[in-house]
Amino acid sequence: MSEDAVFSLQSHSTTVDYRGKVPVEHLDYDYIEKCKDVRYLEKILRILRSGEEGIYPHLIKFCESHLEKLDPKSRALRKAMPVATAASLSKDEWSQIADELKRWQEETKKTETTLKHQSVFDDLVKENMPPVRGSNCFVPLSQKTVLQERKKPSKCALPRDYREWDKFDVEKECQKIEEDVEKTDPPAIINSGHPKIKTQVDTSLLSQQEKLFLANREKDKGNEAFRAKDYEEAVTYYSRSLSIITTVAAYNNRAQAEIKLEHWHNALKDCLSVLELEPGNLKALLRRAVVYNHMGNFHMATEDLRTVLREEPQNTAATQLLSQIEKKTEECQQEKQCKGKKILIQEIEEADNQTDGDNKAHKTACLVQPSQPVGGEERSATPVERGDMGNAHKKPHGRGDGGPHAESNNSHHEHRRNRGGSSDKYKVPHDSKEKVANGSSKRGSTASVQGDQSGSGKATPVGGNAGETVNLDAPCGALPPPLARLKNEGNLLFKNGQFADALEKYSQAIQGYTDSGIDSPEDLCILYSNRAACYLKDGNSQDCIQDCTSALELQPFSLKPLLRRAMAYESLERYRKAYVDYKTVLQIDVSVQAAHDSVNRITRLLIEQDGPEWREKLPEIPLVPLSAQQHRREEPPSAEILQARAEKAARDAERKAEVRFSALKQEGNDFVKKSQYQDALEKYTECLKLKPEECAIYTNRALCYLKLERFAEAKQDCDAALKLEPTNKKAFYRRAMANKGLKDYLACSSDLQEVLQQDPNVQEAEKELEEVTKLLRQSLASPSPNKPRKTVPITEVEDDENVTAVPNSKNSCKGEDISINLQPTSAYEFGQSLNAARSSGNTVACAELLASTAPEMLPQFLSTQLDGHTISFIMQALHSHLLEKDPYLVYQHLNHLHTADRFSVVLMLLEKDERHHMTQLFEHLSAVQSTQFTKNDVQNLANKYI
Amino acid sequence: MSSPLSKPQIITHIQKSLNYTVFDSKWIPCSAKFVCLGNFPSGTGVIQIYEVHQGEAQLIKEVEKPKAIKCGTFGATSLQQRHIATGDFDGNLNIWNLETPDVPVYAVKAHKEIVNSIDGVGGLGIGDGAPEIVTGSRDGTVKVWDPRQKDSPVANMEPMEGETKRDCWTVAFGHAFNDQDRCVCAGYDNGDIKLFDLRNMSLRWETNIKNGVCCVEFDRKDINMNKLVATSLEGKFHVFDMRTQHPTKGFASVSEKAHKSTIWQVRHLPQNRDIFMTTGGAGNLHLWKYEYPAQRCKKDSDGVDVGVAGSVNLLQNVTLSTQPIASLDWSPDKQGLCVCSGFDQSVRVLIVTKLNIV
Repeated sequence: MSEDAVFSLQSHSTTVDYRGKVPVEHLDYDYIEKCKDVRYLEKILRILRSGEEGIYPHLIKFCESHLEKLDPKSRALRKAMPVATAASLSKDEWSQIADELKRWQEETKKTETTLKHQSVFDDLVKENMPPVRGSNCFVPLSQKTVLQERKKPSKCALPRDYREWDKFDVEKECQKIEEDVEKTDPPAIINSGHPKIKTQVDTSLLSQQEKLFLANREKDKGNEAFRAKDYEEAVTYYSRSLSIITTVAAYNNRAQAEIKLEHWHNALKDCLSVLELEPGNLKALLRRAVVYNHMGNFHMATEDLRTVLREEPQNTAATQLLSQIEKKTEECQQEKQCKGKKILIQEIEEADNQTDGDNKAHKTACLVQPSQPVGGEERSATPVERGDMGNAHKKPHGRGDGGPHAESNNSHHEHRRNRGGSSDKYKVPHDSKEKVANGSSKRGSTASVQGDQSGSGKATPVGGNAGETVNLDAPCGALPPPLARLKNEGNLLFKNGQFADALEKYSQAIQGYTDSGIDSPEDLCILYSNRAACYLKDGNSQDCIQDCTSALELQPFSLKPLLRRAMAYESLERYRKAYVDYKTVLQIDVSVQAAHDSVNRITRLLIEQDGPEWREKLPEIPLVPLSAQQHRREEPPSAEILQARAEKAARDAERKAEVRFSALKQEGNDFVKKSQYQDALEKYTECLKLKPEECAIYTNRALCYLKLERFAEAKQDCDAALKLEPTNKKAFYRRAMANKGLKDYLACSSDLQEVLQQDPNVQEAEKELEEVTKLLRQSLASPSPNKPRKTVPITEVEDDENVTAVPNSKNSCKGEDISINLQPTSAYEFGQSLNAARSSGNTVACAELLASTAPEMLPQFLSTQLDGHTISFIMQALHSHLLEKDPYLVYQHLNHLHTADRFSVVLMLLEKDERHHMTQLFEHLSAVQSTQFTKNDVQNLANKYI
Repeated sequence: MSSPLSKPQIITHIQKSLNYTVFDSKWIPCSAKFVCLGNFPSGTGVIQIYEVHQGEAQLIKEVEKPKAIKCGTFGATSLQQRHIATGDFDGNLNIWNLETPDVPVYAVKAHKEIVNSIDGVGGLGIGDGAPEIVTGSRDGTVKVWDPRQKDSPVANMEPMEGETKRDCWTVAFGHAFNDQDRCVCAGYDNGDIKLFDLRNMSLRWETNIKNGVCCVEFDRKDINMNKLVATSLEGKFHVFDMRTQHPTKGFASVSEKAHKSTIWQVRHLPQNRDIFMTTGGAGNLHLWKYEYPAQRCKKDSDGVDVGVAGSVNLLQNVTLSTQPIASLDWSPDKQGLCVCSGFDQSVRVLIVTKLNIV
């Protein structure tokens, strides 16, 4: 149907008369058969189909088939078919499709119901999500408009309204700088940054169903990349898939991709993994054969191929490879010295591999670079950067013609000197560099010049531009009319790009301001800030910094002077100070994109300069009071606005805290990756100050403690984590490691068992468990006769550490049961009290604690904290203090204790003397005469324990 | 062309006539159910949920809404929640829990005029990073929303003052392969295609294909951007190779004139990114396959990398109806299953066979 249109598009060539009518004699079998011109044939076909010359169905078909032979993809052959229905397929085919569909429907129903039951995890998943994008960013729709805007000033002298400039100045300048860099040397952006893709997927909180879905998806992505010959990307995606769930298919596919990349060792590893999971996997065998072949291990390759061919005799790939290998081996055998040579070849190949890998790494690293389009940041040599920045600042200057440019430069010199003088007057602290630049003798003389100028300027406002349309006498804050006029003139000049003149006006205004003795720091601040802008435009960063500092002294935390000072610092390469200023800006207003960008840029530079400890060398970043924003603006805001602002500030603070939290966490994680655990520890501690309810931080900090071998603290963190999330695997595992470090093997093994109960696939846990059980057995076996004495030191070690860890228990240690809370209301309090009592060996306190605890609450209070020592301690307390007073309570406690979590596990690991205690307790209990329970009851209960 | 039987066949499995105009139809992920969105002749909106069961589409739920609903997406929701985000004729963005669709779980007046197109990312395990929804509207703006932030968008792409506002017809997410990188592509009625980089909050690339852009889609949202297909009003579509961006020439592309009428939509097969279906204004469907060139990148005369476009092959084309097919959605779970709806007030479930062997 579409061929007509297509055809009309195509028929513009000249060799054959495509436009003219096709002669009737060409509509002929012979002619068509001989015709090799596809386009002409298409035309013939069109004529035939149109029926202009009569309808010849067979000829049409003939023509079509001939055309297909010449060009199977010809558009003229495209026919719109009616949509097929079930009837248009053969019965078998359709029944197969229908069956598949039916099966799928049933399966999805099942998965859907399982999905619905798992909605508990919803909140947990969210925790891992990145935060909401920072700001409501405005993105311009076109680059052209920005370009036009940049061109405008060079054509006419009136670029923008001053107020607009006031709003956008710094950000836009920054944007322009970046664009400039991009424009001057724009590299092609290649999007193949697979190294940026994480090879691990965090799926700890996903359900099995979701994991399957995700793993499949990642595998599909890998397959697609493989088909597009992006083997490295494919490997990345297969790795991602494997990090979610290990599957034979993903391993197999990754092996294939690794083979394509010639990473033989990785490929071999993957093949082995497959064969471990599924011993007879043909694909894996075949691939392993290929790898062996390339590694020169022909014998193994042949073996694998033979296995494949035994299973699947028709496998052509295997037969081909086998014959290849056989040929090779024959050749080798013909030459006598081939043995040595063979090994040599193999070695070379291996070496090649390594370099190959390195090259790859290098290449990929190179690839990342161009794909980051933010210009100017990749530069390693700072001087270049500096040159850039300088250019950028001078940019507005350069827009003018040659003449004015030079002129302004001259005047600019003068003004620099003037500035030196005036600043002296205002007693602004001088920068040392500035002093060097302007000799002090010079300063004295220029000061008088400055005085003269300002005097005349005030009396008769010089103004070639005075006749401009702008109302120069517009009132400005609290400034008297002459000063306001000066300021407005300055603004106008600035807009026109005459920065030097503007500078003069502002200087005069500042001078006049101090002379007149008005008290309006705001206005003075604005004047300084504006003058700073002029300096910045002139590239005079020193003076700019000074003016900004003056402005900031008058009005701390005003945004514009801070930003300008930051830019000036940056252009002077004083990155640390610039960093601090940008950070302050961001504290005041997080939405300043330019500041964000610059902070990123500077961070990188500082890291390059100072290494990973660059932060320590930073001067302190001042904390911006929440009221800073209000402070910046008008003084008497209405109550409503105040309230709204307070709310906004509170929200900002919250968001900032959030941002800070995630930043700290990230930093902590980075430190962990670099194995700087002490630093990471500090970061995490800070995190917890911000958000004490974050389970992940506790487990992370526990890891750091573990690495630093501070086991008691690690254990504490794990306990805290488990309190927040009673089923956190990581916390259990890490507590197990902490317990192992504390030599509390019993607790360790029970923790490990808990881990394995939750997820039997954790191989580390299994290994650890084996090791620990061995250790446990050793510690139990060696001191068998006088065990009580021997085990006591072990527990004491732990207790000591506990004491240092828990301040509460320290007290209790010194002054008996002073701080033991005997009325626990939560599992946490109960645990604390019990620990305190246990660490001081205070069975009386424990007995009191138990007496005040309702027996049915006991399992709940113990939660997952139960271990062998606790049980025996409770037994002791019950036995020695409670049994006489209240046997029924003892019975009840015992009756509930065995329902506690992990009881059965702990029970199995009890030591002999602890068991002995228990039997004694039960014996005594059964000896007690009571109306509330019988001997039989006690016997039944004892059976559960012994 | 080889024997017709080895080609993929497009088979109508279910056809269901409806009593309203359906604008969009979407599979509910991990289920055999799909959602139809549209408007009743009275002008009110409607959401219907159908389940495919034994060769029939059974209506499970129907909700009427005050405004006609134009488009919807599941892209930004988790597999467990499976909330649908919709855009309506009044410029509202709503997120509905389909279990309790009476009250939206998120609602915002997103645009001044009709929301033409919507897309989501970050959910369903598709793409790392935050869940985000992008909407494009007749008012000329493209806005990105985070369901966790009420009332205001997280990014706003609108014409500067003084620029003429173009009708934004289509939006699509892409390049979301880690939790920072992300791109939005938008197509406008004047043929503009603009690519916004959400990481840098800047316009990354723009081009004009001379005719109104009806639909854009990345072949995958959650990979390093690979290909982009843009369909146009006069029946042409363009495939851009997004891997190599030349500083002046931009991305390499191949175009194909396929339909004699507007190409309303393009959708890539979720199981194979190189196969996609285009739906035509004359009720026809074209199934295509993109073939990569031998080298995807070469040096131009200045030694700068420039992309090389591949070619497209028609795998199958069929005519379903005389009215435009306005929407098509591949089932994310079952390869070859898709639902499409047209202006002939009917929704069809199609099966495309042999997709795994092409």
